[in-house]
Amino acid sequence: MYKGFIVDKSLLDKDPHFAEGCGSCHKGNETAQDKTAAHKDLVKRPSDDLNLCAPCHEAITKTYKNALHYTAAGLRHGVMGRFSREELKIFDEKVFEKSCRSCHSSCGECHVKSPVIGGVSLGLVKGHRFVKRDEGRTCALCHGGRVYPEFTGEYGGTPDVHYQKGMVCMDCHKKTEFHGDGNTYQSRQERKDRPACIQCHPAGKEKSEKAKSAHETHKEKLSCAGCHASGQYRNCYDCHLGKGATAKPALILGRSPRDKKTVTTLRLIPTVRDTFKDVGIKMDRYDFLPNYWDTVPHNIKKRTERTRSCDVCHVDKQGFLTREILLKDGSKANEELIYEIKPIQK
Amino acid sequence: MKNIRIYSLMVALIFILPLAALAREIPPVVSTDWLEKNLNNPKLIMVDIRKVEEYKEGHVPNSINVFYGSWAIKKKGFDNELPEDDDLFDILGSSGIKPDSHVVVIGKTDVVVDQVNLTRVAWTIIYGGGENVAILDGGFNKWKKENKTISTDVVKPKALEYKGKVNKAVFTTKDYVLTKLGKSTIVDTRMPDFFFGVSKLDFVERAGHIKGAVNLPSAWIFAKEGAFKSKEDLDAMAAGVVGKEMSNEMIIFCDTGRLCSGWWFVLREVLGYKDVKAYDGSMQEWAKDPNAPVVKYSWH
Repeated sequence: MYKGFIVDKSLLDKDPHFAEGCGSCHKGNETAQDKTAAHKDLVKRPSDDLNLCAPCHEAITKTYKNALHYTAAGLRHGVMGRFSREELKIFDEKVFEKSCRSCHSSCGECHVKSPVIGGVSLGLVKGHRFVKRDEGRTCALCHGGRVYPEFTGEYGGTPDVHYQKGMVCMDCHKKTEFHGDGNTYQSRQERKDRPACIQCHPAGKEKSEKAKSAHETHKEKLSCAGCHASGQYRNCYDCHLGKGATAKPALILGRSPRDKKTVTTLRLIPTVRDTFKDVGIKMDRYDFLPNYWDTVPHNIKKRTERTRSCDVCHVDKQGFLTREILLKDGSKANEELIYEIKPIQK
Repeated sequence: MKNIRIYSLMVALIFILPLAALAREIPPVVSTDWLEKNLNNPKLIMVDIRKVEEYKEGHVPNSINVFYGSWAIKKKGFDNELPEDDDLFDILGSSGIKPDSHVVVIGKTDVVVDQVNLTRVAWTIIYGGGENVAILDGGFNKWKKENKTISTDVVKPKALEYKGKVNKAVFTTKDYVLTKLGKSTIVDTRMPDFFFGVSKLDFVERAGHIKGAVNLPSAWIFAKEGAFKSKEDLDAMAAGVVGKEMSNEMIIFCDTGRLCSGWWFVLREVLGYKDVKAYDGSMQEWAKDPNAPVVKYSWH
């Protein structure tokens, strides 16, 4: 029997969250004898209302109401550049509130029960325990499509070197990234507290001359992941609202859309021209934004094919975005991301 | 007379020393009781190969964690390949393993894949030059079931520079196997329906087995609860299929190089067959090559 939805009875006596009974959060009628009566006015996701958690977790709920996990503003920000003003209104009303915001993200969806993703919920994280931190569940239930399985190597690659050394999400990502710092952000790119490789691996401290020279040569021209992503990562294609997207592995190198001077690993984001067609959004400004975005695949290795041989990039041009492989009928902005890699002048 | 004695002693040493150098200092399969008694052995390094999250939930005290996927990687489109030698040495060094360390591999034993993950990691460490590599019989499952001490303290390995040499004698390639058809004993360790060719994994291009192979499934090594069957049983199973000639060359394969490590470990480390090589490219690589002969619907 699948036990994902079974509450661990032993918790009821020892966890203070249950001190006032199930009804204190979920409402309904605890004394009713049949399901219909018991479930009348039931609140499925009580922590959608942050005030419920605030009396005990005041500091966190105070910042969390502006946190990107809660506002889901990043999802809106990522796509709104493709819309006219009128289209944005439709998007906000018919898509953002009903789709994006529908699972982003109450306290309980990380700490108690996995949200419904693609129509499926895996149920309670741990028998309705309020789990403070267990990245394989509290993070991976939502980020298990690409980030987490890339990190553990289960997406068909090899584990990220940090996972190999026993590190998990919160060894790099700090609590304020999840719970917010009180400020309002439109996207995670605006945040200053995101992890960066250089925080732990400062330039100039390399053990070998080869590494030192390679880092110096590529400084401010190539992202760390450009060389150190160990293999293919998940790219999603052809998203249609409510119907999902299809995924294929690839490693794609090109100019960062946020900083065209830098070459980096790119990930295909699945918005296609008719993604929002069913709600009447044509995306008048579709070509303003590219379909490929800079990404840090979580499959980092000290040595990769590209660190072992300059020829992989400079002769074989492996992984580089070219006109031939650009997404068919994709955004015209994609062409600006093509980087013509040159042979090394010897 | 004195000269004869010295000469005899020297001759004896010539024969005995290499054997002594090769002799294991720990048994290849250790019991939970053995491990419990040896927890404080300073030469002992216990490597828990479960996922980081599983390790953090509870593990054998003092064991370190290096996830299975670190030891068997995807390379050039093939699964469960050996890491490059320098990467492997980094893994061994950062785990605090020296060539003469006593290494016990610990993992879960829920299903056959978990069980052969243990042997696959043991094979990889032995390939990397490890001389005393053992497997915890029944894995963490048995340890937990017996209510032995479980720790949640994360152990940071004492990293060092690994100074071993790879042991190429335990590994082989497609080109080598092609030269050994009809000459060496080639052992298919998949289940009989895969050997016969009525079943096939999607990523294997042709059903059947390497020409001339015999079938000795790795799944049959383990008893119900994931522990190894008795040495007598394993010995009899092996003898019935590959014979008792301990010096003959044997090449072991499966679909990706994981399952075959089961019989590799039993034949070489437990039963003492001298020359057993694992072909880690296995059928995933072999069946892609039209020049590599595959036999279907035959037990031979």
